[in-house]
Amino acid sequence: MKKFVPFLLIMALSTTAWAGNPVAEEAKAEGKASFYANITAIEPIVEAFGEDTGVKGEYTRISTSKFLATVLTEFQAGKLMADVLQAPLPVMELLKEKGVLAPYRPAEADKYPEWASKDGVIQQFGIEYVGLIYNTELVKPEDAPKRYQDLADPKWKDRIVMANPASHATTISWLVGLKENVFESEAEWMDFVKGLAANRPMFVKSFGPTPAPIESGEKAIGISMPKYIITKAPAPLDWARLEQPLMGTPRGIAIAANAKHPNAAKLFMDYFLSQKSMNLLASKVGEYVLYPGVFPPIDGMDKAKVIPIRELSDEELAKWGAEFKRIFEMS
Amino acid sequence: MYAKRSTLTPTLIAIVGFLTVCPVAMLVIGSFSTNLGTLGGFTLEKYIQAYSDPELLDIIVNTLIFVVGSSFLATALALFLSYLNNRTDIPFKFMFRVISIIPMMIPHILFSVSWVLLLNPSNGIINLFLRQVLGMEGALNVYSLHGMILVEALLDLPIAYLIIAPAMASFDVALEESSRVCGGSSLRTLFRITLPVLRPAIMAAFILALVRSLASFAVPSVIGMPGRIYVLSTHIYRAVSTGFSADYGKAAALGMIVLASSITLIYLYRFMTREGEKYVTISSRGYRPTVIRLKGARYPLFAVVGLLSFILIVLPVLVLFYTSMVPYSMVPSAKAFSMMSWRHWIAVINDPISLLSLKNSVLLGVGGATLGIFLSIFVAYVIVKVRTKASGLLESLSFLSFSFPGIVIGVGFMWFFVQTPLYATIWALLIGYIATYLPYGVRPLASAFVQVHSHLEESSLVCGASRVQTMRRIVIPLLVPGIVSGWILMATMFVRELTLSVVLSRPGTEVLAVQILRFSEDGLWGRLSALGIIMIFISTGLVVLASWVGAIFKPIQEE
Repeated sequence: MKKFVPFLLIMALSTTAWAGNPVAEEAKAEGKASFYANITAIEPIVEAFGEDTGVKGEYTRISTSKFLATVLTEFQAGKLMADVLQAPLPVMELLKEKGVLAPYRPAEADKYPEWASKDGVIQQFGIEYVGLIYNTELVKPEDAPKRYQDLADPKWKDRIVMANPASHATTISWLVGLKENVFESEAEWMDFVKGLAANRPMFVKSFGPTPAPIESGEKAIGISMPKYIITKAPAPLDWARLEQPLMGTPRGIAIAANAKHPNAAKLFMDYFLSQKSMNLLASKVGEYVLYPGVFPPIDGMDKAKVIPIRELSDEELAKWGAEFKRIFEMS
Repeated sequence: MYAKRSTLTPTLIAIVGFLTVCPVAMLVIGSFSTNLGTLGGFTLEKYIQAYSDPELLDIIVNTLIFVVGSSFLATALALFLSYLNNRTDIPFKFMFRVISIIPMMIPHILFSVSWVLLLNPSNGIINLFLRQVLGMEGALNVYSLHGMILVEALLDLPIAYLIIAPAMASFDVALEESSRVCGGSSLRTLFRITLPVLRPAIMAAFILALVRSLASFAVPSVIGMPGRIYVLSTHIYRAVSTGFSADYGKAAALGMIVLASSITLIYLYRFMTREGEKYVTISSRGYRPTVIRLKGARYPLFAVVGLLSFILIVLPVLVLFYTSMVPYSMVPSAKAFSMMSWRHWIAVINDPISLLSLKNSVLLGVGGATLGIFLSIFVAYVIVKVRTKASGLLESLSFLSFSFPGIVIGVGFMWFFVQTPLYATIWALLIGYIATYLPYGVRPLASAFVQVHSHLEESSLVCGASRVQTMRRIVIPLLVPGIVSGWILMATMFVRELTLSVVLSRPGTEVLAVQILRFSEDGLWGRLSALGIIMIFISTGLVVLASWVGAIFKPIQEE
């Protein structure tokens, strides 16, 4: 509850006068803003947007693997229904390349780290952070990994779950990210990957199915997302506090080039980047956001170092996917 | 009469062709195009990449074992259950009918997850029971080809059952009696008379199960992937998920091998049942199905079937219910039972999108199945009774989008519908459903048509009835079991349809399966299970409705 008091205070203070904004008046006349996103469970933000601005927010959820196919199909047929789009940064970059996105830099963007808005088109607002999640009934905090290297310890043999490193793009990028950001040398990293493979982790399709085997005790630990500690409460989950940084793919947002509701689009993006939305995102969904001072209510997360990983091209992903498939199959 | 037939066939080819060829044609274009999904430069690169992969051979071998194994098991189980149910005096018949249809009502992903909870080697409930209560060593491992075959077979059981059961119901017992009179034993009669006469239905069930398991994704991803067993559908998934600019053209190129196999199977089936007259069992003379008395074997057999159904079907559903009551995935224990509550149910019932999707799915289930069956009657008629080259074409066409792997066909429909004003409307879903699942209506009806001798129609025509009257008064009543089966297959399929819906549904046209997928992507298994059970209730309602309406129109079947 203590954690909640300042949070509620911020919520109360941040109900800014959205109505005073000239864009807001135009947006109201347009009626609604259509939002395509791969991020999940953001209904509270869409609802709050409607209440605070009087413009209806319409949330269409599209999974990452279908995002580009869907948006490009609609765009090329001249039927793109989205006013605002949100997806992992690599997908947003591809959309920008195809001319789907329009430049727009909301005032709120100034509050974000400088690297989060390089081009004035895509605004990065969060990191899809990956962590080591364990079952607190099976693993004592002192036995949890302290460094990524610990996951290669044979004590974890047959006790790990992870998304398939041969095909899950985010996991592939994450493993490569470890090489580039965390490990001292490529040899040390390769030892880690081989050690992990030797522990015969169980593969699932994506991050979505990773927490279930951990919470049921089928597996003890997983390469998963700390946000599940929030969304799956009261499951016995905790994250391993590593001395190395956590990493993840940045999440980007932008408005569509030929949005049907151009002002509503801008208003929605302004609203989405506001402190109030980011607070909702962190507290309700456990997301790691880039708005300064806003953290998910996961113990110790405000002190964690979370860094974005480099975007890998599809060729690199395919190459590394094949490489990881080979390494993990050998064991 | 023949003039009518000759206009009927082309009309149907045009309708069915329009429904199924358009999305597949879009996929073919996509697979040869340098662009992502649209007309671009011509390239063979996607095919070369897809088929030069050295792993492909292993994957094809796995796929073969998986699809043949599961289809065989599904057909054998269906045959056993439908024989007991339709031909014997085994008690509590209605129960078997419901049980053999239940897997059709459960989203496949949920059914697979239930089996993982029951049979995973670490702490699967059955394994815990075997180890702790029976003191057995080792564990049964669901993450294996055996596990995949078992679960897929159970999921395909309703398809096989609903095709075989109508044929079994209209079996002319005189054939069996002749065999016995000539001194054949019961077993000999079964193998020499009963099964051969049912061959078209058995083959139809087997082939439909083959085609379905080839396209299946839930079992290969939930059970195969953790066991590192890859089949074609997970291989195709890998092609679209590795990398952010998913190339569905390449996935379509890979899907062509599945399509080609399915079409070959359908022609094979047609070839094997070419002498249609052999299988006619309802001719004009003395048709009456009778019941075989099991006598002393009645209750022991019931116990066997009861136990089988309990382990295979009731237990996974109980696991679902259990999952919907506990706060997170946990192994049953005193703690788990003390933490049970209705919270997931309340969350689902209070969710406006879940309610909207409920309404849309029921609408699509009832409306879609009714329209679909209407079309299927004509298609099945032409396929069975007008055995020309054109009717063979029609049969292949009806399978076209059905036999494409699910992940890919949805995108094909999206590429097609975006060119039309139907895009993002509920009509797109309706048309897509009927086009894709047409075989669910056509197959049961075709195996029912096979058994109706043309003498019956001819007698009616000779007596001065018009063709429409003949259809309504003579043919349709004899087809009622097939119509009911087909309607049930289609309606329950539409209520839980995922692969098309996930691509075509938009705000306002949400359907149940999409909502279920969202819960599963967020790992919210409790809500997922609650919604899954609501889905089972709705489908059960539809099955009861169909059976009830069927009973009204089925005077001839009553003794």
